[in-house]
Amino acid sequence: MSERAPTLVLDRASVAYGDVPVLEELNGVVHEGEAVALIGPNGAGKSTFIKALLGLVPVVRGRIEVLGRPPAQARRDVAYVPQADTLDPDFPVSVEQVVMMGRYRRIGWLRRPSADDRAEVADALERVGLAGRARDRFGTLSGGQRQRVLLARAIAAKPRMLLLDEPFNGVDAVSQHALLEAIGSLKAQGASVVVSTHDLAIAHLACDEVCLLNRSQFGFGPTGDVLTPERLRATYGGHALELRGDRVIVTQT
Amino acid sequence: MNWLDSTVHRALVEAVLVGALGGVVGVFVVARRLPFFTMALTHATFPGIVVAALLGVNIYLGGGLFGLLVVAAVLAFGRGRGQDFTTATGIALSGGFALGVVLVSSQDGFTKDLAAYTVGDVLAVGTGDLVATVSVAAGVLLVLALVGKELLLAAFDPVGAAALGLPTVLLDFALLAVVEVTVVATVPALGTILAVALIVGPAATARLLTDRFAPLFPLAAGIGVACALAGVWVSTQWNVATGASIALFVGLVFGAVFLGTAVRGRAGRAAAVRA
Repeated sequence: MSERAPTLVLDRASVAYGDVPVLEELNGVVHEGEAVALIGPNGAGKSTFIKALLGLVPVVRGRIEVLGRPPAQARRDVAYVPQADTLDPDFPVSVEQVVMMGRYRRIGWLRRPSADDRAEVADALERVGLAGRARDRFGTLSGGQRQRVLLARAIAAKPRMLLLDEPFNGVDAVSQHALLEAIGSLKAQGASVVVSTHDLAIAHLACDEVCLLNRSQFGFGPTGDVLTPERLRATYGGHALELRGDRVIVTQT
Repeated sequence: MNWLDSTVHRALVEAVLVGALGGVVGVFVVARRLPFFTMALTHATFPGIVVAALLGVNIYLGGGLFGLLVVAAVLAFGRGRGQDFTTATGIALSGGFALGVVLVSSQDGFTKDLAAYTVGDVLAVGTGDLVATVSVAAGVLLVLALVGKELLLAAFDPVGAAALGLPTVLLDFALLAVVEVTVVATVPALGTILAVALIVGPAATARLLTDRFAPLFPLAAGIGVACALAGVWVSTQWNVATGASIALFVGLVFGAVFLGTAVRGRAGRAAAVRA
């Protein structure tokens, strides 16, 4: 089997909003078909990390390469999944229209969706288990279902890298299962996944690697090696308790 | 004799045009929650119109240029650190209107002119006004047809639009500019204070009647045209102010539809979904 190609390279990278550095000294490599969990307390810079991979927050020192390119030039092959509750539930837009937005880059300016685009949208909705809801208004779905629609939008874009910002927050068990299934199938097709989460169990379950963040990097590597009580305590500033040897509970997020 | 030589005929044509234009543009205004911004724009355009009138140049040009300045200022200020779009808008609203009043009050015939600018007079529109409104409507429809889907995405999910690499600042500017030229086109008929009625009201009413995006446009345009025609008719029948009559119809239709849909339990269900 050939060596898997690196899709994300962090090399002593610092990112900043204006003069204010948000994340410093990021290092690590993610390969095709791998998923990395971003773990850290609120305000640690997880969302900023994701925005940096989209080229929406500048790298001020070091280097970030996404799919071998500077982040802003890789957007065509990168799909971003925001938190569902950041979007206006009253907006008059159907589930199908939201998923179609994932095709806009491929459709291009001034053009209308083709039959192929519609087929991709239907397929993506199928993959998140919401095929029957295409005509419903987005805001009428539950939080977990809306999150799945946003994942379907990303799937419809056929990305080589998928970025998810806290997709499991406030999501019911059915939707969590559907999200994990869909993420798993994307990985199997060779996409890389970056997912921020508070949930250490999900990091164990769905991710090959973990990046511990709190303004700087407290660890990056295979899930089993990095999710240790010592490192979590360091990341969360002492707000982590050890349970039965290798189990850890984070007491403050 | 030309059909358009009649004051009432010109008023009817202008009413149909601004009703349809306001309705269509209003769909984006309401979906993007920009009614307050539109309100501010109508007031901030006011000094541009007054300056143009004082200098004897085209008032559409004056109002339009001044409005674009305001749009750029609000965008720049609203994107600054720790600033809020609403704050910038509030300042533009009061500042623009105040400047307009100061300019008008420096002239003779203050009260009469102020009334003409602030509440408009659709029965006074000339053929030139009709040509201007037709041009604006054509331009606005062209923009919406060409980049409608991108505007939809930028309205629904701005960060997602930026993540796709869409030029969100440009799209924001395009939308605000569309609102701005619509305001300028509507001012001669309804005035700076009432123009907002035809842009916000019909679209908000249509929103009560459907959850789908595409039908909002014909529905809002239809409601706008109906209200504008009804306003002109009432005003010519009973000799009352035309712009105010149109705005009143817009309010009445919204109220009636709101009550009707609330009775049918629609509003209740929407609230349950939101909770």
